[in-house]
Amino acid sequence: MVLVRFLAAAILVASGLFLSGCKLVKNEQQASVDSGVDIFFNDKSFDPDKMANEMWDPKVIPYLEHKAGPFREVKVLIAKDPDEAGRTFGYREKEEGSPWNIVTHLDGKIVAAKTDSRAATIDVDMDGDNNADATVQIGPVIRGTALRDSLDFISFNAFTNQIDYARFGKSLNAQMAKSTLANLPKDLVGRTVSLIGVFVLERAATKPFITPAKISIGDKAS
Amino acid sequence: MSLKNRLLAAGLAGVLAIALGASAQAADLIAIITPSHDNPFFKAEADGAKAKAEALGYETLVLVHDDDANKQSQLIDSAIARGAKAIILDNAGADATVAAVQKAKDAGIPSFLIDREINATGVAAAQIVSNNYQGAQLGAEEFVRLMGEKGNYVELVGKESDTNAGIRSKGYHDTIDEFPDLKMVVRQSANWSQTEAFEKMESILQANPDIKGVISGNDTMAMGAWAALEAAGRKDVIVVGFDGSNDVRDSIVAGGIKATVLQPAYRQAELAIEQADKFIKSGSTGLEEKQLMDCMLINGENAKALETFALTN
Repeated sequence: MVLVRFLAAAILVASGLFLSGCKLVKNEQQASVDSGVDIFFNDKSFDPDKMANEMWDPKVIPYLEHKAGPFREVKVLIAKDPDEAGRTFGYREKEEGSPWNIVTHLDGKIVAAKTDSRAATIDVDMDGDNNADATVQIGPVIRGTALRDSLDFISFNAFTNQIDYARFGKSLNAQMAKSTLANLPKDLVGRTVSLIGVFVLERAATKPFITPAKISIGDKAS
Repeated sequence: MSLKNRLLAAGLAGVLAIALGASAQAADLIAIITPSHDNPFFKAEADGAKAKAEALGYETLVLVHDDDANKQSQLIDSAIARGAKAIILDNAGADATVAAVQKAKDAGIPSFLIDREINATGVAAAQIVSNNYQGAQLGAEEFVRLMGEKGNYVELVGKESDTNAGIRSKGYHDTIDEFPDLKMVVRQSANWSQTEAFEKMESILQANPDIKGVISGNDTMAMGAWAALEAAGRKDVIVVGFDGSNDVRDSIVAGGIKATVLQPAYRQAELAIEQADKFIKSGSTGLEEKQLMDCMLINGENAKALETFALTN
């Protein structure tokens, strides 16, 4: 069979009959509206909100609770061996060109809040020196895809293309914002905070930028 | 190929079998098929793949499909006919390419896709693409910052048959649309083309002289737009691209275009060859088929370290 294919292909070239076995294919066009603009290959039959909603409580939260390491321990291991920290407390889908996504849980005090943006954040101090040790996204707009990328049971391979994969990442962020960030108090600075969240391990030792999965804000700390 | 054609070909093939058998004894061949090398991005990919393949002892066949799915289909046929052991492909359409790659697979030839994906899995041996959504968000965040979170802007979109055009536009809008004072006044496709972007930018400018920024789906369109803006004396307009080409690097260093997003194109092409080599020798890449590689923001701070789609240290 391989021989026949080889010979068949050979004859095509040799006799110049390039088009004899080919079907004419059309350059495709397909677009649908997403967030106000037409995005090509945006498949409306795929419902990422539903997917995110259905897995949030039964799968995502238990996985993250199991995977999370205490912030201090995570930080120490990152300083010592970032890949080991990644393997222990995080996940990445592939080795080259993908950063680790680290899962951590922490308790601290809110020392600053940036709430004039729709992508609001709080700065959290964990060691009591009143300096921020991490920045935490509190939405309603959540940047990045750290939540999605931290899940070892979600693979890019399971999605038709980058567009569906991106939509799922955004839906997961929205699901989190809806279930955990909806009723935060307005005066945040000075309150205690306790959370489980995910951050991308950057090459430079920058302050972690955490996307929470669960968050609870307490009273003002003394 | 139809059964009739197969029989016809098989019947006639005996004549040529001996002559062609001889060439099959040479070094294993890898076909490298990309869009036109007019865009330095695709040239860098082809060069990176060729150099790596030759370093590993392969012969290479470098071809361009000019974003024509029919031409691509013919090139795949010739790669099959030449007995290629693997095909490195930056493809001509996310749907249109599926059949062509399947055809190669049926002929026992694995395809390693780079840069652009196809809307199917299990057909190519690997699809190694830039994390375009992550990259587009980086570019958009920089654009928002440069624009001071307000003003009228234009978006130049890439070729519709390429999911990269859609995903970058989605990444841009998922970020920019959070800022109600940023208003998109025109959104047009310039099909990744520098000349088309130049012409479109000229007419966009005439109709919308009040624009403050242009965000472009790739660097060649950003270069075209910048040339039109410069010619019209509008060097005040903020332009942000995507790719990380040397042309845009030079423009950033000279104070023209403000930023771009580096796709690790050269490394991506090398990686495809490494995975093809592993597949040829062992029958598997040992990796997931679809692989994303993160992008990096390039602006005035790090542009000088950019060379041929890679950051030097």
